[in-house]
Amino acid sequence: MVVALDRDKLLLDVQGLRKFFPIKRGFLRKTVGHVRAVDDVSFFIRKGETLSLVGESGCGKTTTSRCILRAIDPTAGKILFRTEDGAVVDVASLPKGKLRPLRRQMQMIFQDPYSSLNPRMTLLDIVGEPLLVNGVGSRQERMDRVAELLRLVGLRPEYMRRFPHAFSGGQRQRIGIARALALNPSLVVADEPVSALDVSVQAQILNLLMDLQDRLGLTYLFVAHDLSVVKHISDRVAVMYVGRIVEMAGTESLFAAPLHPYTEALLSAVPKPDPRLRSRRIVLEGDVADPANPPPGCYFNPRCRYALDLCKVDTPQLLELRPGHFVACHRAGELSLSGVEVDRPSV
Amino acid sequence: MERSPAPLLSVRNLKTYFFADEGLTKAVDGATFDIHPGETLGVVGESGCGKSVTARSILRIVEKPGRIVEGEILLRRTGANGGEVDLVALPADGKEMRSIRGKEIGLVFQEPMTSFSPVHTVGSQIVEAIRLHQRLSKREARERAIDLLKQVGVPKPERRVDEYAFELSGGLRQRAMIAMALSCDPNLLIADEPTTALDVTTQAQILDLLRRLQEERGMAIMLITHNLGVVAEMSDHVVVMYLGRVVEEGPVDAIFHSPAHPYTRALLRSIPSIRSQSRVKLPTIAGSIPHPFNRPPGCPFHPRCPSFIPGTCNQREPGMVEVKDGQRASCFLYNGA
Repeated sequence: MVVALDRDKLLLDVQGLRKFFPIKRGFLRKTVGHVRAVDDVSFFIRKGETLSLVGESGCGKTTTSRCILRAIDPTAGKILFRTEDGAVVDVASLPKGKLRPLRRQMQMIFQDPYSSLNPRMTLLDIVGEPLLVNGVGSRQERMDRVAELLRLVGLRPEYMRRFPHAFSGGQRQRIGIARALALNPSLVVADEPVSALDVSVQAQILNLLMDLQDRLGLTYLFVAHDLSVVKHISDRVAVMYVGRIVEMAGTESLFAAPLHPYTEALLSAVPKPDPRLRSRRIVLEGDVADPANPPPGCYFNPRCRYALDLCKVDTPQLLELRPGHFVACHRAGELSLSGVEVDRPSV
Repeated sequence: MERSPAPLLSVRNLKTYFFADEGLTKAVDGATFDIHPGETLGVVGESGCGKSVTARSILRIVEKPGRIVEGEILLRRTGANGGEVDLVALPADGKEMRSIRGKEIGLVFQEPMTSFSPVHTVGSQIVEAIRLHQRLSKREARERAIDLLKQVGVPKPERRVDEYAFELSGGLRQRAMIAMALSCDPNLLIADEPTTALDVTTQAQILDLLRRLQEERGMAIMLITHNLGVVAEMSDHVVVMYLGRVVEEGPVDAIFHSPAHPYTRALLRSIPSIRSQSRVKLPTIAGSIPHPFNRPPGCPFHPRCPSFIPGTCNQREPGMVEVKDGQRASCFLYNGA
């Protein structure tokens, strides 16, 4: 993939990332195959922007984000990350011992605010733990920092002696965000941060995330399956299917004029909250391909209504068809696919 | 759409409370609505609004310490035992209720993995459901199960029928669940978050399937969901619930295009839509849903309501008033509440 961009502005540059999980069978646990969870994924994130990885369950979006944090070790590929002092390191090949200082700069927000907070720790302990582990400040300084963080995410500092059970789902997610921000990270990976929340609370958390980004200059890698949420928060979106990126573009461009048939189907499948828009949806036949045994050629070809014979044998590469708009499809550009219109703001 | 005159099911002032040691939870507190033959009623609300407990009350499968304390659930029956029956008055595990549950009212749960037994094949569970209500031999019931799986779009049904739930994908499992719910040709299908655990393209398949089956069979569907998109796509009529109360109900177009209750209005404004501009701040609803133990007095929505009238909303409970044709809301903004 050619990136015609000022490389100084990139915070993260992922090149050819692969993560295969072995399938073991029998008494000797012989490896009989591999689940190609992430298969040659390349993308970059600029400083201060939000890139979303979207796709259906099993498409490899969470595995990709976990590789970037080195929560799991990638099979192959480079994960170039620009550290605070401007140096570029390859997270993928760094020995475990050298990861510690890097972890301060990459933090994570989890999906489930109920299971991701220790019920026996107070807010002070939860939010202050990253500071303690990294030996930041004295006890009093840590308390001040926790108070500041709680205020930042919209919680009252007086609550810091309370336990998580005293808080609602939305408030707990705020606690999780405060913890992630404790060490001033530059990259925040948010894996489905609002999908466990009530609809009326989702908007509060999305607004908070955008607010914090503006104030602190954060860079987000946002992992989600809800395309409405993704549209709201992202600057750019990468659509994944069976371990590969099939399309990547600026949010408006991707939603208004998708170039990949899978993106088109995905957009049309989202139920729109307006009964006057009951459209003829594109209903995809069958199920997502098995990443342990993907079909030959383009992985999407058995479900694609535009597929040619070529699609069944040859794997399409991710190419930049329009400036900043990447797509992996043999027929990209010759198809006229429909996207989603934007409602004019109601008066 | 004009609603047909006689409702299939009428829920009247239903109250289902949970008497736990920690305190009393009024999970459903005076819900009233109708389901008409052949229509899809969308029941929408956030967690704790009582939508699932309402469904469980209708089927009389409310778990202890929960109990229906008041209200009527009138089911209009056809055929030999025609006429109206109040499900609340029937013993929950009596013969009549058991013949209604599964036969006249089918149920589809949210999580098809946990609602199928892991140690029986999918086919044997459908056969069991069929033979419970119909006099069929094992072989005939098996033929029927295969036929049902075929109707709901399960590929190679004669093979799938002998598989276990864990061998099926999420979408196929939900299809099998629907096949089981339809095995006795119910007049009413209650679908409790039928697509919440599914991916969006699979969700589209299942919603399409439900719509097709409804056209073919003319059954009514009570669709319970928190997803306003799903409600807008599927429903004829919508009931909006908040903390155990119906706060608004009306035809789907009115609910989405001229919502009357402040909660409905705020909810519709606050949801991220795929059709709105990106990177725009969403209007939010202040606060969060109160814990059911500390339900606010008066209108349950008043602490979060932008139109809160002090001295009224926090002291008296609003009644349902007709706002427009067929659209009713429980709010003091409207005269007569």
